[in-house]
Formats: sequence, structure tokens, C-alpha cells
Amino acid sequence: MATALQLTGIGKSFDGFQALTDADFDARWGEVHALLGENGAGKSSLMNIAAGLYAPEAGRMWVDDNPVQLGGPRDAARHRIGMVHQHFKLVKPFTVAENILLGHPLATGEGSHRKRLGTLEAQIRAKAGELGFDIDPRQRVAHLSIAEQQRVEILKVLLAGARILILDEPTAVLTDVEAERLLSTVQALARSGAAVVLVTHKMADVKTYADRVTVMRGGRTVKTVDPKQVAVAELVQLTVGDSVAVPQRRRDGVAAGAPRLTVRGLRSAAAGGRPALDGIDLQLKAGEIYGLAGVGGNGQGELAAALMGLDDTIEGDITLQDVGDLKRLSNAQRRSLQFAAIPADRYGLALAGALTVAENFGIGQVHAGRYGSPWRLDTRTLEADAQAAVEHFDVQGVRSLGQKAALLSGGNAQKLVLAREFGRAPRIVLAHSPSRGLDVRAGAQVHARLLAARDAGAAVLLISEDLDEVLALADRVGVMTRGRIVAEFDQPADRQAVGQAMTDHG
Amino acid sequence: MADASAAVPSINAAPVTSRRPLASRRFALELRQQMPWRRQALILGVSLIIGMGVSAAILVAAGVPANELLNEFVLQTLFDKQSIQAVLFQAAPMILVGIAASIAFRARFWNLGLEGQMIWGAIGATAISFFDVGPAALRLPLMLAMAMALGLLWAMAPTLLKLKLGVNEIISSLMLNYIASNFLLHLVYGAWKDPKDSFPYSPQFRAFERLPEWFGNVSTAAIGLALVVALLAWWFVGISRAGLYLRFVDANPRMADAVGVPVRRMIFSAVLLSGALSGIAGFVVVAGQEGRLTQAFYAGYGFSGILIAFLARNNPLAATVVAVLVAALFVAGRNLQVFYQIPFSMVQLIQAIVVICVASSDFFIRHRIRSVVSKT
Repeated sequence: MATALQLTGIGKSFDGFQALTDADFDARWGEVHALLGENGAGKSSLMNIAAGLYAPEAGRMWVDDNPVQLGGPRDAARHRIGMVHQHFKLVKPFTVAENILLGHPLATGEGSHRKRLGTLEAQIRAKAGELGFDIDPRQRVAHLSIAEQQRVEILKVLLAGARILILDEPTAVLTDVEAERLLSTVQALARSGAAVVLVTHKMADVKTYADRVTVMRGGRTVKTVDPKQVAVAELVQLTVGDSVAVPQRRRDGVAAGAPRLTVRGLRSAAAGGRPALDGIDLQLKAGEIYGLAGVGGNGQGELAAALMGLDDTIEGDITLQDVGDLKRLSNAQRRSLQFAAIPADRYGLALAGALTVAENFGIGQVHAGRYGSPWRLDTRTLEADAQAAVEHFDVQGVRSLGQKAALLSGGNAQKLVLAREFGRAPRIVLAHSPSRGLDVRAGAQVHARLLAARDAGAAVLLISEDLDEVLALADRVGVMTRGRIVAEFDQPADRQAVGQAMTDHG
Repeated sequence: MADASAAVPSINAAPVTSRRPLASRRFALELRQQMPWRRQALILGVSLIIGMGVSAAILVAAGVPANELLNEFVLQTLFDKQSIQAVLFQAAPMILVGIAASIAFRARFWNLGLEGQMIWGAIGATAISFFDVGPAALRLPLMLAMAMALGLLWAMAPTLLKLKLGVNEIISSLMLNYIASNFLLHLVYGAWKDPKDSFPYSPQFRAFERLPEWFGNVSTAAIGLALVVALLAWWFVGISRAGLYLRFVDANPRMADAVGVPVRRMIFSAVLLSGALSGIAGFVVVAGQEGRLTQAFYAGYGFSGILIAFLARNNPLAATVVAVLVAALFVAGRNLQVFYQIPFSMVQLIQAIVVICVASSDFFIRHRIRSVVSKT
């Protein structure tokens, strides 16, 4: 079988950090080739080199057995390589067709713009029909769901002529059903002769859909195997090196404590249309994890924002045990009541990427006077605390405390957030998709922290789109749909029933 | 997989055009994540030298003898006692507006109203003199306090408009400058006109209403005041807790709000402080330089303040150094004007060239240029 894409001996470093060392990879025509590894293993870096975004420092690349050197994504497109990035690169106010026109040969073709756009729209409809995508080329991208935006990205690279398709963590943002649909589609694409590279850290996707899998670890390619021939345990072993301790399942039979946070009739003030929060009733008890499952975009973000005190317009009651109305309190006051928050949008709400690790850590307790008076910031104590927390919470990749937080990988950034939020024993924890985008090891560490907080008597609200996560950790499970909590289950909950509730009211 | 390879020929059917890459295509740009500060300083220094070089070439083309350039520009300005005095004289208000701009920009507030706040500062100081408020010994502190108060109040308008109604401060603060300057004209052409000669300026301040000249004949008190303000500003942004809050407001306001930083209060106080500092700059000009309220004393300071803050990356101590350099450029330009009939706009041109060079250096600090050719 002919080799579609081959990379040998690839090396790449970023500011002294060796991201890739002597990495080898090849994908054949007609196969789905998975690239498996933890966060920071170098999967995305390697594929960004294949897509012409990064120039390698060492190594060679062949496309269809011809040596190539890429000067940018445009060169990659000429060699028929297309990549769908984890974070979509779409212009939201533009229509689907306009987005696809960028980078399409028709963009500079003959005839008027309108005429070319019309031709393209026909092409989009044809291609979308072929792939079973339901996409209206005239729809604005801002109005599309995440899954639909991803389809637009795939159409974009395919219509630009790509035959080597690289998908970077395509299922991270999708529900189970959507992920299955997507992966069968790309499998069909491969069967029709294309080469598909699937960058992922989900074992299940690899087992079901990949023809071959290359495992990466620490910037090197470890091994290429046939996933049908090896056990999941062996794949995990290859990805993480040594074994990972999976946190204890929830403890059964221990009664939760008194209700600590009570939410009644929480409603967002909508200016028209359906409000994002449509009467949420919720009770968090001390010493329990309440898991809130649901498909993304059903009001989870708004609920988290309301509880974090980021939305002043919210209606309804949020009552904190022994304190009363939480809405009256400033965010600084909430924090002084040991209210810990792990927002989903890590660099939007949890960290300031441009500031240092020490500053991002210290800001959590500076109000309380832990780090000097208002007149003088006690940087010595702050840095000592930060250093201790970085070690205690196993935040890796911190070369110095003065390093910008944006340079941490996803998992380590999340650990820094945990280090700050769990610095003092929290009484209430709000965790929104806390392990999203994290690898197995980092995810397990996050889960262990949540369980430890629960065992120490905190009331934990875990909002997650990952049903496995909710079922593994929660003591009680709620399902959120269209801004309401539509069902509640005691553990052990029936997975089928919960899944049914998630989709029923959607 | 025969069926798969059967579909492949479409690749060969449309052969990849092997265009010879242009020179520009052999390099790729990459975002750089972090750079040691020494390299940043080096890049900054090199760009400054390039800017100076271009400026020198322009001056030579305009008729300044090349061998005189160094003499005029550097030696005369930096080593002549009178020139140094002139530079310090010029530098004091520039330091103040530079710091005023830096502090507002640190709160992500584009305070383009520096001139208006300066005007109100000057009006406040002059009012104390004009209406003979307080005993002579307290006159200067009263003038200073009044200047700060009025500068602060003038900055409050765009701040409230922004925080309460979401009005863009770039427009509101800039437009308020015109109101301030026209009110100034109204005063100096009207009620406050000097009765002695009926020129459009206020009566001369009395000796105890002028900033003292401790050494030589330059207002050392003005430069001293500016340096004290610089130190206080450095404490504010670098050492106090508010400085940490401001860094978070600057870096990520939403996140800052979420972790309990009083974002709105920080913005409010930073901008009011900026207004008060501009007010002091106005006070320094009327009480230290002019000795009275004149009709156009503020011209150009708004632009200079923004420029200084930008070049100093909103750091108060760096702003002090930059302000002195800008003042030196000013004085050197004036010397050139006198001796070689170089128009003053040339000085502004040089300023602009230096700024553009320094601004472009940012590109090289943020990006890495990498050759596409890979080694095996």
C-alpha cells in the first residue's frame, strides 16, 4: 500500500523546551491512523509540522513518496494536506460558504464573487450530502453548534482538495452520539482512498475506528501497532509509561451532611427567547459530590457563572448555610467563605496567561491579607507558598515562579488552578468540566482532589458533559436540559436512564 | 487494499505544482512564547540605534553638517549646563503626564483626556492665586491640592460614563479636552485677563506662588516633585496590593472579577489617579514654567504622555527616563532650530521615527523568524 504521509526523525523545540525528538510517523492511503498520547506528548506539534504550521528543526517529510518542505499551510494544501484544529479556525460572523471560500481555489477564480460563491455553495451541498452532513452553506457560523462547526471545518479542508486529513482531538467537544457519527464518516472517507490521521487521547475511539495507532510519549513516537491486536491496558501502558492510580470510586453508604448551598428558582433575565437558566432548583450537601450531567450548551456555563458571582442580572435565590443570601456578597467575600471555583474556561476565567505562576497563585488569598498589607505585597511569603503549592499539587513544567502561566500545558494549568482554589480547605467547590482536555493522568489527579475535598466535608458541584466522569465521581446525579434540572438520580444510577434523560428533553 | 489505491490516482492526475519558492517563502514566522529580558533589551537597543541612524541621515540631508551632528545632538544637550537645565525644565511635566498615562493604561482605560485634566489642574492652581486663598506659606500646597482635585474631577466624567453607561472613553475623554481648552480661553480672554497689559493670560503669580528654584535658575522643585510622584507611582504599581490587582485587571478583567479583584473600583481609582497626576502636570507648568495661566501651555502634552507611556510599557520608572529623553530631544531640536534653521516639525519627525522603530521591535520580541530548510 502506498504511503501517503511520512515523517522521519522530526525534532522541534520551543524556547529551549524539546517538544519533539526524533519522531517518526507514517500514514497510508485508505487508513485511519490514530496518534495517541497524553497532553504534551507532542501529538499536536508533530501534526502541526505535517500541516506546515511549524518548521521542523530536524527530520524529513514525504508526501506520496516525494520529499517535501513546507513553507506554510498553503504549501501543505498544495500537497493535499488539510488539518482540522482542536480550536476551530472559523470566522464566526461569516456564512459557511464564505468561510469555506477562504483557502479554496475558487477564492481567486474567474467570474464575479457572487457567482463563485454560488458555485461553491453547490459544491458544499454536494459534498455535505455525500458525507451525510446536514449543513446549509448560507447559515452564519455563529449560529452553528460545535459539532456543526466541526463539520464545516472538515468540508473546508476536503473542498480545498485535501486527501490527507488530520483531525486534532475531534471528539473532545462532541457528545457520544455525535462522536460516533463523525468517526464513522471519517472511516468511510478513508475507505474511499483518503488518509486520515486521528489525534486523540481516547482509547475507545482508537479501539473502534483506527486501523493503526502510533503512540507518542514525551515528544517521541514509542510504537506503532494494530489496535485490534493489543489490549487497552497495553495501550494505556504505552501512553503513560508506568501505571496510573485510578481514584477510588465514590464511597457508598455514608450519609451526606446538612444542605450547604440551596438554589431556588434560578432564572437568567433573558431579553427574549428562552432564558439560558429556566428555574434551577438545586441543593448541595456537605460531604457529597452532586454531579450535573447534560449535553453542553444547556445552561451549564450560565449556572456556573451565576454561582461564581459573574452575573448580576440573575433572578432567584442562592442561599449559603449559616450565611444567607449569596448574591449580596462580593466575589472577594465569597472567596473568604472558602468558595472554590474551577471554571471550564481555564484561560478565560481561571488564569491570567500573561501573568506569572506566582501571581496567578497568590491572587486567590491576597484579599484575606495572607500576603502583606494593602501597602506592601509580601512577595517573599507569596513565592514561598506558591513554590510549596506547585510541589504539593505536582504542577510540572514550571521552570521558575516568574514564568507566564500561559506557558503551562492544559493539565498543569488546571493543577495550578487547583493549587490556588484548594489552598485552604474549601467548603464549597464548583467544578465545571474540570478534566476537559486533560490526559488520563492529569484527569485522575483532578478527580482525586475533588474526592479528597468531598471527604473533608466540602459540598462539591461537578458540572460535566462527560457522563463517565459524573457517574464515576458523583454521589447524586442531576441532568440538565434547556436550563432546567429535569431528572435526579441516586447512585448507583442507571447509565441508560441518565443518558435517556439527557436526550429526552433536548 | 486494491480499491483504496484505485482511488489514489486522482493525486497523480493533478500533479503538485513544484513552484520554486520565493525568497520570502523560505522563512516562516512563529509566535515566540518568552524571551530573556537581556535579549529584549538588546533588540530594543538595536532598534533605537536604527531610529537614531535614520534620523541622523534625515538631518544630514536637511543641511546639518555630519560632523556637527554628534556635537549638537549629544554633547551640547547632555554636557552643557544650560541645556541640562532646559532639559530638566521640560522634563518635569512630561514625567507627570507620562506616569498619568501609564497608570490609566494599566487599568485598560485609554485616557486621552490628559490635556483636559492638565488644563483643569492649571485652572485650579491659578484660581487659588487669583482669589488669594490662604496664607502665603500655604499657598503652593493649596495650589497643588486644587490642581489635583480639579484634574481628578475632570477624569471622573469619562470614567463614570464608561463604567455606568459603557460610553467609549477614547471618544469621551478626547472630546472633553475641547471643552476644557475652550473654557480656558474663556477665562484668559475674559474674567482672568491680565489687567496690566490686556494680553490673554492671567496676572503674573507672586514669588511665593511659584515653584522655588533651589539651584541655578531652573525650577528644581518641579523636577523634584515629578521624581517624588514617580517613586510613589512605582510603589503603587510595583509594591502595593493594588498594583497586583491592576496587573490582573490589565491581563484578564473577567478572570480578575471571578477571583475577587474589585475590578470596577480598581479602574475607577486608577483613572482618577491619572487625572490627578495630569492636574499636577498642569500645576507644574503654570507655577514652575510660565508663572501664569496662558492660553496654549498644554499643547502637545497629551500626545507626549501617551508616547512616553507606550515606550516605557506603562512602567513609571521607565516613563521617567523616557520623559527625560523626550525632553532632551526637544531641547536638542530647539538648538538645531536656532543654529541651522531646521524647522521644528523636523524634531517631531525624528520623534516619530524613533517611536516607530521602537514599536516595530515588539514584532521581533514576539515572533521568531525561522528558516524553512530543515537539517537532517
